[in-house]
Amino acid sequence: MHMLTVSVLLGLIGVICILDSRWLGRMNFERPLITCTLVGLVLGDVQTGLTVGASLELISLGLVNIGAATPPDMNMASIIAAGFAILTDAGIETALAIAVPISILGQMLGILMRTILSNLTHLADSYIEKEQYRKARNVHIVWGTLLYCLMYFIPIFLAVYVGTDVVQRIVDVVPAWLTNGLGLASKFLTAYGIALLLNMMLNKDLTVFFILGFFIVAYFNLNVTAVAIFACMIALILTGLRFGKGGGSGHAATPDDYDPLEDPLEA
Amino acid sequence: MTTANNDVKVKSDRRRFLQFLWRSWTIQASWNYERQMNMGFLYGIAPTLDEIYHDDSDPVVRKHKQEAYDRHMAFYNCTPQTSAFVLGLAASMEKQYAEDRDSFNPDSINAVKTSLMGPLSGVGDSFFQGTVRVIAFGLGISLAQQGNILGPILAMVLSFIPSYVITYYAGKLGFNMGSKYLHELQKGNLMDKVMYVCGIVGLMVVGAMVASMVTIGTPLQFAGTGMQGVIDNILPRLIPLGVTLFMYYLIKRRVPTGWLLTVCIVGGIILNALGIFA
Repeated sequence: MHMLTVSVLLGLIGVICILDSRWLGRMNFERPLITCTLVGLVLGDVQTGLTVGASLELISLGLVNIGAATPPDMNMASIIAAGFAILTDAGIETALAIAVPISILGQMLGILMRTILSNLTHLADSYIEKEQYRKARNVHIVWGTLLYCLMYFIPIFLAVYVGTDVVQRIVDVVPAWLTNGLGLASKFLTAYGIALLLNMMLNKDLTVFFILGFFIVAYFNLNVTAVAIFACMIALILTGLRFGKGGGSGHAATPDDYDPLEDPLEA
Repeated sequence: MTTANNDVKVKSDRRRFLQFLWRSWTIQASWNYERQMNMGFLYGIAPTLDEIYHDDSDPVVRKHKQEAYDRHMAFYNCTPQTSAFVLGLAASMEKQYAEDRDSFNPDSINAVKTSLMGPLSGVGDSFFQGTVRVIAFGLGISLAQQGNILGPILAMVLSFIPSYVITYYAGKLGFNMGSKYLHELQKGNLMDKVMYVCGIVGLMVVGAMVASMVTIGTPLQFAGTGMQGVIDNILPRLIPLGVTLFMYYLIKRRVPTGWLLTVCIVGGIILNALGIFA
């Protein structure tokens, strides 16, 4: 495939990616696991796409765009990194290491965009002032969408079109010890990603469930699916005990300071 | 005759709820720092406003329409899926206001929006980002690591279904039940239950991921014995747990993200070269 075609196609995957959070209420189709697989499908190497996607997804699990936070943009970076992993001899470790600085550049671009879009708010205000309601709505659904799409398409297109040769030349001279080191670095990044997730979810009352999940796998080697199934059952049983069996009838059977762990029924 | 009328009503209601769904999902298309999802909310409620104030020949109606458009340009931010509830509620309040302009204070519409943003973002983000996403992608990653394309597909399906169902019914509830339903929700401590179940399932899956997906080990030898074997006898996967908790500690200490990423990369290269971890 010609390099220009490849760059345009990866740029379009970027457009799909940004449209997930702009038009689909952030259904998480924008996440590295999905976009890297798409890159793999387009470039004819699904296996590499899946592997890069799984690794980058682990790293970025905790990087979530909620509220006003704009974290490092792993979604954009993952498309470029998966492209490099397939188009050059860069191994998975190298691709992951490339993704990190790109994600920080993407973060800066995201902050710039959201600042520029503040001006669009004033534009919409002035359209309402002039009773031009269709134009006011279009500021949101047409111009907002378009600017966000370009914010993804252009950097991805340029990075792939210009960067692939550069990356190939760098990969050719990278020594083995560095590649191995980046392998370990990607494992640290995974731990960091999960720690970010913990930071978002952990609270004192529920810490025991994190530890329980860890030990079930550490000692019994169950997979994540099995743990998710057991977790649902445990959660439902405990909810029944904690909130009473009334099921939303309004009168909780237990006082507020009730602690399910001290309940004799559970022993 | 009545059934035919009912059919028409059901159809137009359905169209309205699908409109709430689409316009809640698109609420972030112009996300900006100043007022965040303000234009998104306006886009969501615009069809309702156009329907109420359709008479363009009357200058009074036109003025009211302009006020309504202005009203919904106010600061707004909420999880898109649960935001459908606010959109439905605000739409029904706008209708109420248009029918009875004297006894209804329009400021209450934005007051209700603002008061709902916090709790609905809290429950929405912890459900969609904290639980659904973690389970869907936790399962997806473990399949993808085995080279199975069902991994990403499963993650997409598991993400789509709750998102669609909740957005549709949230919009419907908000529009039909109005502010009455809010009391029901609070009385039945449904929110607490959802948060509790989400917390347990999410955290157990994350615990499982630390043990199965952080694969740091040590090649160190001590008096001819591999340290890894010794550690596995004391507590399997101790190193992954320790490294993850160390990262958690650094995040809690508010070490900047850029620093942490650098530490991971430089630390990985150095510790690997020294042969301490692999």
